[in-house]
Amino acid sequence: MNQKIASVLKSVTKPGRYSGGEYGQTIKDKEKINCRWAFCFPDTYEIGMSNLGVRILYGALNREEDVWCERVYTPWVDMEEKMREKQIPLWAHESGDPVKDFDIVAFTLQYEMCYTNVLLMLELAGIPLTSAERGEDDPIIIGGGPCAYNAEPVADFFDVFSIGEGEEALVEFARLYIDMKKNGTYTRADFLHAAAKIPGFYVPSLYTVDYHEDGTVKAYTPVYDDIPRQITKRIMPDMDKAYFPEQVVMPYIETVHDRIMLEVYRGCIRGCRFCQAGMIYRPVREKTPEVLDRQAKDLFACTGYDEISLTSLSISDYTRLEELTDRLLSWTEGETINLALPSLRVDSFTRELMERISTVRTGSLTFAPEAGTQRLRDAINKNVLEEDLMRAVQVAFAAGKTQVKLYFMMGLPTETKEDLAGIADLAHKVVEMYYANPNRNKGKHPQVTISVACFIPKPFTPFQWEAQDTLEMLREKQEYLSSCITNRHVRYNYHDARTSHVEAVLARGDRKLCRALLEARRRGFRFDAWEEHFNYENWMQLFADCGIDPAFYANRAWGTDEILPWEIIDCGVKREFFLRERAKAYASTTTPNCRQACSGCGANQLGGERTCCPKCKN
Amino acid sequence: MLSKMQELMPIDPPRTVRIRFRKVGKLQYISHLDLQRTMQHCIKRSGIPAWYTKGFNPHYKLVFALPLSVGAESECELLDLRIDRDIADAEILRRFNETVTEELQGLDAWTPTTKFADIAWAKYSVTLSGPVLGDGDAAAAKKLLTTSPLMMIKRSKSGEREVDLVPMIHSVEADGGAGELTLSLMLNAAGADYLNPELVVRALREQLWDGTDDPDLLTWRILREETYFADGLTPFR
Repeated sequence: MNQKIASVLKSVTKPGRYSGGEYGQTIKDKEKINCRWAFCFPDTYEIGMSNLGVRILYGALNREEDVWCERVYTPWVDMEEKMREKQIPLWAHESGDPVKDFDIVAFTLQYEMCYTNVLLMLELAGIPLTSAERGEDDPIIIGGGPCAYNAEPVADFFDVFSIGEGEEALVEFARLYIDMKKNGTYTRADFLHAAAKIPGFYVPSLYTVDYHEDGTVKAYTPVYDDIPRQITKRIMPDMDKAYFPEQVVMPYIETVHDRIMLEVYRGCIRGCRFCQAGMIYRPVREKTPEVLDRQAKDLFACTGYDEISLTSLSISDYTRLEELTDRLLSWTEGETINLALPSLRVDSFTRELMERISTVRTGSLTFAPEAGTQRLRDAINKNVLEEDLMRAVQVAFAAGKTQVKLYFMMGLPTETKEDLAGIADLAHKVVEMYYANPNRNKGKHPQVTISVACFIPKPFTPFQWEAQDTLEMLREKQEYLSSCITNRHVRYNYHDARTSHVEAVLARGDRKLCRALLEARRRGFRFDAWEEHFNYENWMQLFADCGIDPAFYANRAWGTDEILPWEIIDCGVKREFFLRERAKAYASTTTPNCRQACSGCGANQLGGERTCCPKCKN
Repeated sequence: MLSKMQELMPIDPPRTVRIRFRKVGKLQYISHLDLQRTMQHCIKRSGIPAWYTKGFNPHYKLVFALPLSVGAESECELLDLRIDRDIADAEILRRFNETVTEELQGLDAWTPTTKFADIAWAKYSVTLSGPVLGDGDAAAAKKLLTTSPLMMIKRSKSGEREVDLVPMIHSVEADGGAGELTLSLMLNAAGADYLNPELVVRALREQLWDGTDDPDLLTWRILREETYFADGLTPFR
């Protein structure tokens, strides 16, 4: 490790965040490398190390002999201070080399509130913040992840975005870079032009944007004839054949998820109308239990973790769940490894399933009805019945559980006061259910926690045109709901509406926001996903000073005749489907899930194996 | 791993094995608590047939001698664990070393006949470097650490108290001069009187170099080299 870095490690909190040297990291001989790749997670080490996507892409890139991918995280504020004081540029974990010296610097964009950390990291690395300022010797800055589906608010800072799944795409990108460097045709401009022709790569500088006088988008125009007018996301068609790491980096310090994360399938059959993940990861593609079992064994052998988490958007929708858990339990029990099934739906929660899994050992169970009345649950297409929830909690209570957590959203389109009161009613009924249960844990009282988030309209959802409630409306609703809760066994948590408001601005933002984010860096914004560092007044002042009206993005009902800033991207699911779903929401009508009937979202055109989509006619 | 384990015959009751390992380089920044968690994972993936506690949350019973503070390195860390299948000590060491990096390498494994409570002294090599160090500092350091009283605030679980460090220092050797100074220290390592070498460095910094901790002026490396029985001569095993 660099002597300068080592010298400050003793004076910062949690030096294990920065020291590196983990078991399972990839070290290569620099001399034999043609493309050095710095994979940045714009948040702390503990959060970044827990991200499955980064683990997959780290392994996929390092599988290439002449590519070396290293990891970079955002230094915490005390380390940032030391780095500035001692003039230590941002470095990569494995080699300790400055990030500025890499060929490609990648950022995964998992949530909007990390944008300020991206700019902080570029600044600490000594890399010019905007694409336009970068010279031939600067690294190529690439972004990806869910927020890349509308990356317009950070478009000026990135040279290119990878849209969709990156296992193959990023390798192709690296190969193009290596080839052009080798045959002497590399210039920054020519490389980006060539990259824009690889499916799934969006080079924002190669598209000019014109706006109407009212600020809405007039047109996106490609500057070359030979690049696509719209960028279609990439998918891995066959998940059994998709790369999955056989070796992972084992953190020495405690991280958010210290467990094996076994990705069971991609996509979701449900189509909840507020949920971006449920749309952008379509089509559903499953892995087979045989492959999953082997991957779980490989991961156990290289990690020694004592828990396997079956990861997906809704695990009980996996068609071969029983077969998979049988296979896993046949060896995990002997090794005292727990199985955890997050993302359980109430309609699938049975006594039998509960006995198989260990998350229930914690004494607390979590369900997400999302809305308080059947009408609103139908409007958002959550397709969960009150009876399902009651049956699920009854199973839990009969087994001796006393704590239940319920997740809801407020500010959903079509929401009324009745829907809010319904949240409290539902919680009260769960409490009653506890006392009515003869097999309950006698002598103990239940605790029902309701956690209420604020609705944020997200790109590529049926609710992408909806207005977010204003701060005042959300606060009023929070108070009203609070007044509806009369039982002391119900605990009420709500999200800070102010963060949700800024998140909504960034989520539906266009390129006009870039100048505000640039100014945010000048004003020292960072770690805005952290309550202790987020300052709403500063954000509002920033927007005002930059001539940005946050309500234009967050609280406006967008016209269906508008060109949406993110429509430069084709996520597979079509605008017509979103419009149909939106109309059904207004009529409080549900849509069958993908397995019951195809609703023609368009994602089947992307292909895919072990999917429930009808095959596309060629 | 299951397959590696099935070939071994169970033994009852379980026996104890002691592993000596190093904790150097980047591992110096890992706290004792994190080391304990790390070792649980290492043992689990190693295929070492360690004995589990029975109960709600099964885990390995791992006992460490003398927790090392963050920022100190060691060539003599000791770990006791219980084995419930028949396996040779050398094989345990081999499996252990497959699951750790160089900086946490196992050095030896054997069946112990002593208790960690028998450790009385630990020997450290402390290397200081930086422009604050002058020609006479070796002699000054030795004098300071051997002239009672040298009162310092010592923190422990039971709170803070002011103690004289000199009786807790068995021996001091000092070498070097301007720019670099090497100390060889034998410090008390028995229970409540355990003397953290970092506290000795602090005493030196405060008395000799105006308390500086600016890495541009002074850096130091602490390496625990060996632990000893009460006689201060026989290495602990």
